[in-house]
Amino acid sequence: MGTGKGMRYNKRPTMSPNELAPFVKRLTSLMLPGGGVPYYPGGGPSAEPSLLGLLALSACGAPAGSAKPLLSWVAELQNTDGSLAIQPGHRGQGIWLTAPAAVVFHKYGLVEARDRALGFVTSLKSETVPNDPNVGQDNTIVGWPWVRGTFGWVEPTAWSVIALNVCGLGGHLRALEGRRFLLDRQIPSGGWNYGNPGLNDRELLPFWDTTGLTLVALGGLPDVGRVRPSVDLLEKNQGKIGSLCGLAWAALGLEAHGKNSPEVERRLTAAMAEQPDDGLNTAHFAAGLIALSGRKVFTS
Amino acid sequence: MKRRDFLKGAAVLADTAAFGRLHGGGTQMTPAPCPVTLLSVPDYGRDVEKEIAAVMSADGLALKGKKVLLKPNFVETHPERPINTNPAVIAHVAHACLRLGAAQVIVGEASGHRRDPWFSVLNPGLRAILDRRVKCLDLNHGDAAIVPNRGRLTRLPAFYLARPVAEADVVISLPKMKTHHGMGITLCLKNLFGTLPGIYYGWPKNLLHWNGVKESILDLARTVRVHYNIVDGVVGMEGDGPIMGKAKPVGVLVLSPFSLAADATASRIMGFDPRKVLYLVQAGQFLPGLRPEDVALRGENPRRFATQFECLDDFKAMRGGPFF
Repeated sequence: MGTGKGMRYNKRPTMSPNELAPFVKRLTSLMLPGGGVPYYPGGGPSAEPSLLGLLALSACGAPAGSAKPLLSWVAELQNTDGSLAIQPGHRGQGIWLTAPAAVVFHKYGLVEARDRALGFVTSLKSETVPNDPNVGQDNTIVGWPWVRGTFGWVEPTAWSVIALNVCGLGGHLRALEGRRFLLDRQIPSGGWNYGNPGLNDRELLPFWDTTGLTLVALGGLPDVGRVRPSVDLLEKNQGKIGSLCGLAWAALGLEAHGKNSPEVERRLTAAMAEQPDDGLNTAHFAAGLIALSGRKVFTS
Repeated sequence: MKRRDFLKGAAVLADTAAFGRLHGGGTQMTPAPCPVTLLSVPDYGRDVEKEIAAVMSADGLALKGKKVLLKPNFVETHPERPINTNPAVIAHVAHACLRLGAAQVIVGEASGHRRDPWFSVLNPGLRAILDRRVKCLDLNHGDAAIVPNRGRLTRLPAFYLARPVAEADVVISLPKMKTHHGMGITLCLKNLFGTLPGIYYGWPKNLLHWNGVKESILDLARTVRVHYNIVDGVVGMEGDGPIMGKAKPVGVLVLSPFSLAADATASRIMGFDPRKVLYLVQAGQFLPGLRPEDVALRGENPRRFATQFECLDDFKAMRGGPFF
């Protein structure tokens, strides 16, 4: 397995191509004949599992031909303003998917589509509200929303920061403010949830998946001490994470901060191998495949 | 009331099966009182599948050959706080539906805070106690049907309703009995937020917040057809709900074909006057069951469960009673 442009092997042990092959085969088997990947087997095609599927195929070094139909389907989802749709039937919904789409377009060399996506991402701003003493966060920082015209939340902001990082715009003012947003939303004792660190002087619970994703977005941060509590949280709780989604993003988050996560990887491998089609979230499966590939997909 | 007596009473109530038809499934006003049944469930270890089936049957809920969707309330999980509808309640209701001849039973939820369905309906702990015929669906990630907003109190012209909800023959709402830091209480009507996929609305469903939580609740109450409601009040949440409060054992399930009647009755059990809960009052303009005289209480004596939930200062004015 060679190293593609913008990708390199991580230092930690990774799965061999032969070990990855059954997982890649399973992912490709979930692609629909008409294009796209469904969130769950038997469902209709949707953008997010298709995007993560493309990143997984890229990370695993799958032949370009195997990704081409899926890439074409995703490219068709791009609106004239650069944003991405959830699926062809719902063009006006899913702006939050534009950031991961920019990453995919960048990785696959679709420069024009990438630039239009980035144009949309950099222009999209979350709404702000006055600060509330009961809520332990700065509501005036601009991030990215799930839906146009609403407040900023951790996951769409993290993906937007990742997209800007991957596409060489890590120094963009929006990326800087996005990082500030994410650091502001960090739970003091570590981790992130959907986007509220505390309420009425009480900390809210962190989620494994958003913690891992946000650590990916904040990888390479000059002041690593700022995210140390979150790295430590994931590292110490490797044995407690039970879901495929949590395991995948925990592995990716720890990897982004130079941490091996053997326990997470072992359990992730088992979860991916044992998960029957019933209840298999293909977006999470693809994220797991990216993690097991050992390639740094989310860096420039 | 002994279990045998209860079942006996339920059989008699079967004669009142016309309730559901008279009321049009809870979507129309009617002069007839709305049946609300209180079922004593001291703890989650007690198997109440038969009792639930008997009450649903008595309330005229016809499930034979139908596709049934159960909508529990999963927000996020905490090791100590009873935030979500208890899996045992979900299982009992699901199995009661099978007992009544449902062709398909789906447990579906679009969790409001967590994207990871492992913490919701795809949790192995829930799936392990469900009959294999019961299917669990993560409604956050999947297709949606565009349905016109029949309330229009918000600016939203339509809702992206999770397709399994839109395609179900029968929808049963299974909320948790909780206080809510924004609305005072959260029960059947508020539970409908979880019929909207997060991929269209985000986590939390901030689009609804920006359009007004109260207005969104009312719009959904007009738009989403719910055929039956069972409030998990075995252990509720008081104080800073819906996620930061503390456990409040009440030991009751509240069952009704009528969302507002179930909510109003549960509210009174919690020690809040539903006529002081703004969104319930406004729902009362188009749904039956707000006033005590609108409700025909069945089953256990409500005084057995009536209590006072602690709440944030902002909502103490909602307190009232004694109601029973």
